[in-house]
Amino acid sequence: MRNLINFRSLLAALTLGALLISWLNAGYFGMEILAEIAILALLAMSLDLLAGYTGLVSLGHAALFGCGAYAFAVFTAFWGWPPSLSMAAATLLTGLIALIVGSVVTRVQGIFFIMITLAIGEMGYELVFKTRALGGDDGLAGIPRLDLSVIGVDLNDPGVFALFLILLVVVCYLLLKRLLGSPYGAILIGLHDNAGRMRALGLPVQRYQTSIFAFSGAIAGFAGTLSAQHTMFISPQLLHWTTSGEVLVMGILGGLGTLIGPVIGAALITLLRHELSDLTDYWGLWLGLFLILVVMGGKNGVVGWLETGWNLIARRSGDRKSSDRSANDAAG
Amino acid sequence: MRTRVKLGVAVAAGLLLAGGQAMAKEYKVGVLLPFSGVYAGLGSHIENGFKLGLEHYGADLGENSVTMVRSDTEAKPAASLAKAKKMVLQDKVDVLMGVVSSAVLGGMRDFVHNSGTPLIVANAGNDHMTGEKCSPNIIRVSFSNSQINRPVGTWLANQGVKSAYLMAPDYAAGHQMMEAFKSTFTAAGGKIVGEAYPPLQGTKDYGPYITAAKAAQPDAIYTFFAGGAAITFVKQYHDFGVKKDIPLYGAGFLTSAAYVHVQGEAADGTVAALHYVPAIDTPENKKFQDAYQAAHGKTGSEFAVAGYDAAHLIVQAIKQADGDEEAFKAALSKVQFNGPRGPLRIDPATNNVVQNIYVFKNEFKDGKVVQTILDTIPDVQDAPNGCSM
Amino acid sequence: MLTDSGFWFVQLLNSLQLSMLLFLLSVGLTVIFGLMNFVNLAHGSLYALGALFGYSVAQATGNMWLAFLIAPICVMAVGALIYVLIIDRMRKAGPMKQVLVTFGLIFVFLDAQRYFWGTDQLGVTSGIPFAGSFELFGEIYPSYRLFIICVGLLVFAALYLLLEHTRLGAEVRAGVDDPETASCLGVNVERTFFVVFLIGSALAGLAGVVALPAFSAEAGMGVSILVPTLVVVVVGGLGSLKGAFAGSLLIGTTLTFGQVLFPSFASMLMYALLVAVLLIRPSGLFPARG
Repeated sequence: MRNLINFRSLLAALTLGALLISWLNAGYFGMEILAEIAILALLAMSLDLLAGYTGLVSLGHAALFGCGAYAFAVFTAFWGWPPSLSMAAATLLTGLIALIVGSVVTRVQGIFFIMITLAIGEMGYELVFKTRALGGDDGLAGIPRLDLSVIGVDLNDPGVFALFLILLVVVCYLLLKRLLGSPYGAILIGLHDNAGRMRALGLPVQRYQTSIFAFSGAIAGFAGTLSAQHTMFISPQLLHWTTSGEVLVMGILGGLGTLIGPVIGAALITLLRHELSDLTDYWGLWLGLFLILVVMGGKNGVVGWLETGWNLIARRSGDRKSSDRSANDAAG
Repeated sequence: MRTRVKLGVAVAAGLLLAGGQAMAKEYKVGVLLPFSGVYAGLGSHIENGFKLGLEHYGADLGENSVTMVRSDTEAKPAASLAKAKKMVLQDKVDVLMGVVSSAVLGGMRDFVHNSGTPLIVANAGNDHMTGEKCSPNIIRVSFSNSQINRPVGTWLANQGVKSAYLMAPDYAAGHQMMEAFKSTFTAAGGKIVGEAYPPLQGTKDYGPYITAAKAAQPDAIYTFFAGGAAITFVKQYHDFGVKKDIPLYGAGFLTSAAYVHVQGEAADGTVAALHYVPAIDTPENKKFQDAYQAAHGKTGSEFAVAGYDAAHLIVQAIKQADGDEEAFKAALSKVQFNGPRGPLRIDPATNNVVQNIYVFKNEFKDGKVVQTILDTIPDVQDAPNGCSM
Repeated sequence: MLTDSGFWFVQLLNSLQLSMLLFLLSVGLTVIFGLMNFVNLAHGSLYALGALFGYSVAQATGNMWLAFLIAPICVMAVGALIYVLIIDRMRKAGPMKQVLVTFGLIFVFLDAQRYFWGTDQLGVTSGIPFAGSFELFGEIYPSYRLFIICVGLLVFAALYLLLEHTRLGAEVRAGVDDPETASCLGVNVERTFFVVFLIGSALAGLAGVVALPAFSAEAGMGVSILVPTLVVVVVGGLGSLKGAFAGSLLIGTTLTFGQVLFPSFASMLMYALLVAVLLIRPSGLFPARG
């Protein structure tokens, strides 16, 4: 097990290295892609907290992402708040909404949880879609970026902005790793493995689930504020359940319950999408086949594959190996 | 093809050095259309039309040439913006063309406005984009939502229709179209007796709405639906047998050439208005329809015409500019010509197209829908609506 | 108008028609779920395939009845292919992974449909049975809608008989109630799974081809229908025929009358109903198991 955790840290370092090397070599469009990857990585990591670690597969996560984006837009563009304050306020607001929603949706489990989050998310989508004051289906433009000129940083430069986002991904990763290593994290993983036993132990299961739903929602909202700053335009599409679905696919491809897996998944899907869609109009077909093959491969996404390979090498070099348990039940 | 073009450029550059003639230029067009997702059908019509337009008009460009780069926008504003940026900043295109969804246009509006690269809009009809949010860089060759519906309000009132019931999907375009109709219809003395806005997505059954519209007993029903919703609505309206008492009118997308054959008998008797109908009897339209039919085995729709005219517009501007980039940009909004849809020019005040609106009737004869033009409202031009360039 | 009894009668028929369409769509999904414990997200794609195959058959033969017959069989064949190539091999991987695989299938089917049938809207205009309308209590009503209602009721009756009065039905019920005991008692669970998957696929195909004359067909129609179908299945309670029927009626009625009475909230009604039902009954109205 220890070996695996070290391996994941190594993987995280390698991923960061790859992101930085591509940042050094990226042209203008490359910076856009990197920024997109970083935002989706944040969102996918926050969903991993729910789906991967706690076993709560939510299809309403994009609605919280969109909530952060719209709140940020309203605070900055409508009310003239400074972007820094707006980011904090939008993140908090989304966390609060997630807390309320979480206390309701955690009353049901399994497929019912998936469906109730989908339903509430879609209600949010419809609400934004219909609200003329928020631009309705035409979306909302004129959103400013965070101003860091006091410390000599110009976030309007695409390269600087991409680096800033990569930095945020690193901070978020370390923060979440710390959280998951704490006793609280152990309880979350326990909830995933066996909620019934935890309940029997007298643990307030629903309260824990609600708290992680709120925390994860706040991160999604934070990612939303960054997305709004990235494109400087938002539309209801952000909230749609298919966006949640795509982020979930990123997690699955990368490996749920590994934290670094969703980051790799976000990078992989974003790149595949842009590259494939230039090659063929039928890129969805290849993406779908790829997803099917990864899931049928039986391992926990890309991270699962890499871990298996790592174990093989480790075993060949004579090390005693522990079994790869976490990889198999994370998505199960 | 590309190498030959480059060779041409090299030769031209040599000529320039030798004789100081006008410089030849390779014009790169960035095609931004949905090739997957819900609007994929429209994307392919526009692209087909655009290619045909280049074929018809781009042959005599002399030293200049046109190449295309294309990108799939789906219907996603954020992804489309990234692709527009790529085309402008990395591929260094000279002009962008396409954009089906108004949300996608909204997403790239500020970027295009600031970039200095012109965008020829080949569908998205949001009034604001040639109104309060207009830009010297955004030139629309398709239509604006109110442009199509405004003339019909007056026209219908003049036909003696005293009251109307409105129905359109519940989204910005639906509301814009209905508002435009309403303003002129009521100004001409007509009365709106009811309105309904079914959800854009997920309305499978228009039965409840049709039943309610019927109960309001209007002289006519005026609608805007497009694509699958238009087919379903027209079929269901027909099935409910309401048409003989309450005739069906609509923005022409209701019975678009792209799918009126799928509606078949259900389209019979429906009257609609649009900036293009395949029935237009001009040599330009015949040339377009014959070639489109030969190449794709189906009638060219208004979407294909938008692509075709976009190509025509770009080619004209290239000819006028004669290699000069600034002159090319300036020429884009000054071009005028006769396209398949008739005379067409760009309004310098808004950059929206000025064109005829055709009122046409669908009749089901011998197993086919025949469209005949009832009336032509010439030279329909939008008011500036807060646009200042 | 709101006091006119004819108006409400027609709206009642409208709601019944929508309910039966939803029932045809959801019953296959719920039966598969009840037995095999996984949600086939590609069910909507099979519905789309039913409409598209139906279109092709109707174009080739001009006979809609033939399309009603052949399209479900074609979809069943596709279902068999999915089962043999993917689902069967995923049996030990657990329900979550099976769901994910069918999620991937959505993308594959979507593009495959675009490739074979193009991106334009397709439809059948001639040879449609019950194309006219009839008059009932002074109201004109399309005959085809009544046909859809009848098909829904017939399928319900047939499935009821199949489940309650045949050996296969007994095996399915046993499998839903307690799969382990059932297989100990000599029920060929493997074969039952396969047959049920085929029936579920064929029903999705039937829903598609029956809907074809009233709507239009296009690649992508399966994605937009997926969510309402899932809502019906979950509201009704997973795995039960009765649940699918009750869920369809509830959703169909709510949508129809909601559209008339609260038009501005029509798009949100279905979701609000789902949330309400789940909060009162966390496993839906009539779940197959406990």
